[in-house]
This record gives sequence, structure tokens and C-alpha cells, in this order.
Amino acid sequence: MKMKSKYIMIPAVMLMLSIAWSSCKKDNPVDEDGLLITTRAQCYVSNFELLGSDFVTVRTKPAAIDTTAQTINVEVMFGTDLKNLYPQFELVTDAKLDPKITGKTDFSDLANPRSWTVVSGNRQVRKAYKVIITVQKR
Amino acid sequence: MMIIRNKIVSLYTAPLFAVLALASCKKQEYELPTASTNLQNDAIKRTIGPNLVTGTINFAYALAIVPEKGKLSSIEVEASIAGAAGTFLDNNSYYTAGNGADVGVPVGSASVTNGAITKVTFNKDTSAATLRYTYVIPEEARGKTVSFKFTGKSSNGETVTYTMGPYTISTMDIKRLLAVSNNNLAFISIADMAVYNSVQAAANASKIDVVYLFRNLTTSAFNHALVSPGADTSYLPGVTLPAGVNRSTKLRKVFNLQDYNLALLQFGIYIDDLDFQQIDLNDSPNFAINLRAEAGVWAETADGKYKAYIYINSVNAAGTAVISMKRWTVPGK
Repeated sequence: MKMKSKYIMIPAVMLMLSIAWSSCKKDNPVDEDGLLITTRAQCYVSNFELLGSDFVTVRTKPAAIDTTAQTINVEVMFGTDLKNLYPQFELVTDAKLDPKITGKTDFSDLANPRSWTVVSGNRQVRKAYKVIITVQKR
Repeated sequence: MMIIRNKIVSLYTAPLFAVLALASCKKQEYELPTASTNLQNDAIKRTIGPNLVTGTINFAYALAIVPEKGKLSSIEVEASIAGAAGTFLDNNSYYTAGNGADVGVPVGSASVTNGAITKVTFNKDTSAATLRYTYVIPEEARGKTVSFKFTGKSSNGETVTYTMGPYTISTMDIKRLLAVSNNNLAFISIADMAVYNSVQAAANASKIDVVYLFRNLTTSAFNHALVSPGADTSYLPGVTLPAGVNRSTKLRKVFNLQDYNLALLQFGIYIDDLDFQQIDLNDSPNFAINLRAEAGVWAETADGKYKAYIYINSVNAAGTAVISMKRWTVPGK
């Protein structure tokens, strides 16, 4: 009987270990995108870039980001193809963007600026940013 | 109790046996493969990228026989579509010298092409040789597939064959290194794959798709530009278009797409028929300004007949540039 209990011990210990390990996962909440929900409440855009169809920047100078007015003012070069632009947002740690940017974006309707919402790391704060484009004069 | 114990023991012994079985495989002695003493051959295709009409496809064909059995007598290549003028089979067998250079050793008479068959007859005692075959793609092969049958013969009557292909021949056209200049050779025709001055452009008004211009403005970065004649006049400052030149070509700026056929740089990037088939330029503008060397534009002509990629090989601040283009005819147009 002694021999028998020895052999049973090994798998039993391994089983317990695996249960203990898997239980750790319960402490990390994730959102609908599988991203970690953290405690951070900051919610702002830290940098903004705009690329043309050739993936080269179309800005004439750095974008002016106003975190109070929640606007991003960008002047683009004369002759920019406004229908085929690739915006790039840099956000505060753990924040995310809604809606997601999936490819080229049409900015040609200058009278109605496009807007994106920044969602904080704790997913409790949401701030909509308007991207206002002006075209450089020739 | 004994049953349980046996079960557990077997759990441990099974992997042990597996390990032993695996290790035992290594005991087999390696034997050098015995080479066939028959006439043998092999072939590789040496060119990569799309097969363009007027371009070439190169092959290396190797043939060998054991010296005691005979020597090589001839090599012939049959193309499924006869090659254009310039198609030949090199009568040199090459080896690579210590400095990396290819050194050719003549082994036969100059190749003779008769229709689709190109042949070299050996006139030196040769046991092994690798000959290079250059096929110049003829116009009649455009959009079709071509395959090649290599046949080697030896003095003892043996014959071997090797088939390569089929290879699809591109429907694209290519034109390299066209000089354009501000206010002079400024009118580019994709339909003709040519550059015209204003007098010639007036005579070919319906074929002018793009205008080249250079403007050094202080208020904006205009520089070198490719603008379609139908674009807003703000993109054509100071340009007087010849009568009837008014086509609106869709243009999309690209940077860093150094197609090997156009740029002749070291980058192994090729624009192929598939790229033209898949690209959608419907929402593209009809101007592309502030272009640099090694930039380019995708273009689609106003009548939808052609799609093209115009590459800028070089630019000069005096208002000149050198361009190259690949053009694809849209099927059914």
C-alpha cells in the first residue's frame, strides 16, 4: 500500500499546481477588445500624425492639440489628397480610441470635422476630440 | 496492488522504450549515393520578376555524362512560342573564377535558331557543360503562357529532356528613362508612352494624360509635380495647355516603391499585372504635387483604358526630371 500512495502523490500535486495557476487569471479584467482595464482615469491625446497616400506626413507643422477644448488643429500641405489620409493618434497610457482606425480616412469635408472618442484606462471617462483640418495656401 | 503497480511501471517504461528506439535509428551507417551513369540534366530559371514583352527570360541548362560512356553532342531548346530576334543559346560553358567573375569556355558552335528551336552542337570533347539560354519575349506571347523543352544528346545515343514552365507573359508595357522638362517636354501620354512638347501635344491632344511641372514657391512645397490637364488650375500655375488638352487622369502619390524594372536599383520589388488588377484609384485626385526622386504615382487614364505606374528616377532643381513607366491595359477597354 505504501508504494501505491507514492505513485498517486505525483499526479495529485501536479493537478493542484495547475488549478492554482489557472485561478490567477481571474484577477485581470479585460474589456470587449481583450484589452486590460486598469485604474487610470487620464483621458487625452498626446500626439497626432497625419500621413498621405504615400505614407509621408502631410502636416506643415506639429498638430496643435487642445486637451481642454478637445480639438486637434492640423494644417496640411497645399495639394494634399484629403480623401486618402491615414490618421495616427498617440494616447495617454492604457487609453483607447473609439471608433478604431482601420485604414485610410476621408477628411475632404472640411466644414464637418471628423471626431474620435478617447476612452480612459478604467473605461469610465470618454472624451470626444475633433480633428480640424486647414489646407495651406499655395 | 500488483496490477496498479504494473500499470504505473508501464507508464514509465513506455517512454524509455521510445527513447531507445529513437536512438537505435542513428546506428545505420550513411552510404554515399551512387551517381547514375546515364546522361543527366538539370535546369534553373535565372530571371525573376514579371515576364515583360521585349524583355528576356534566362535559363541555365546543365548536361553531363560519365566520360567512359561518351561525350555531349548537342543541346536544343524548344519554346512553345518562338522567341523574338536575339533569342540564343550560349555556346560557352561558364564557371566562376576566384574573384567571382563568370568565365566562359567555348564548347560548341554558335547557336542556330530555327523557328521555335534553338540548338548548339558541341565541337569540343565535353563531359559536362552548363549552357545559358536567353529567350527574348515576342509580342505574340503577350498574356499567354510559354514553356520550354530542353533536350540534351550524347555521342552514345542517349537523350534526356527537361521541361520548364509554363510561365505567364505579362500584358504590361514598359518604357524607361523618359526625360521631362518644365514648360518644354512637359506633356506625358500614357496611351503613347511618350513625352511631348506643346506643339506635339496639340497634335496629340486626346492622348495627353499628365503634365509635368516644377514650381519653386515660397509659400508652399510645390516643387516637382505630375498634374492631369483636367485638374483645377490652382495645381497648374502658369501652365498654358494646348487646345484640346483636357483629360482628367486619376493620380495617387507613392513613395519608396522602387520597381526593379523601372528603377534598376538593388531593390527586388516588382510591380506585376496583379497589382494593376487590384488597385482601385476611383477616389484618387487628378494631381500629385511635391514629388521627389524615387517617388511615383499610380495613374488611371480618363477613358479607363490604361492603368500605369510612373516612377521618378531623378529630379533636378532646374526643373527637369527623368521618369519611367509601366502600363497595363485594362481588359475589355
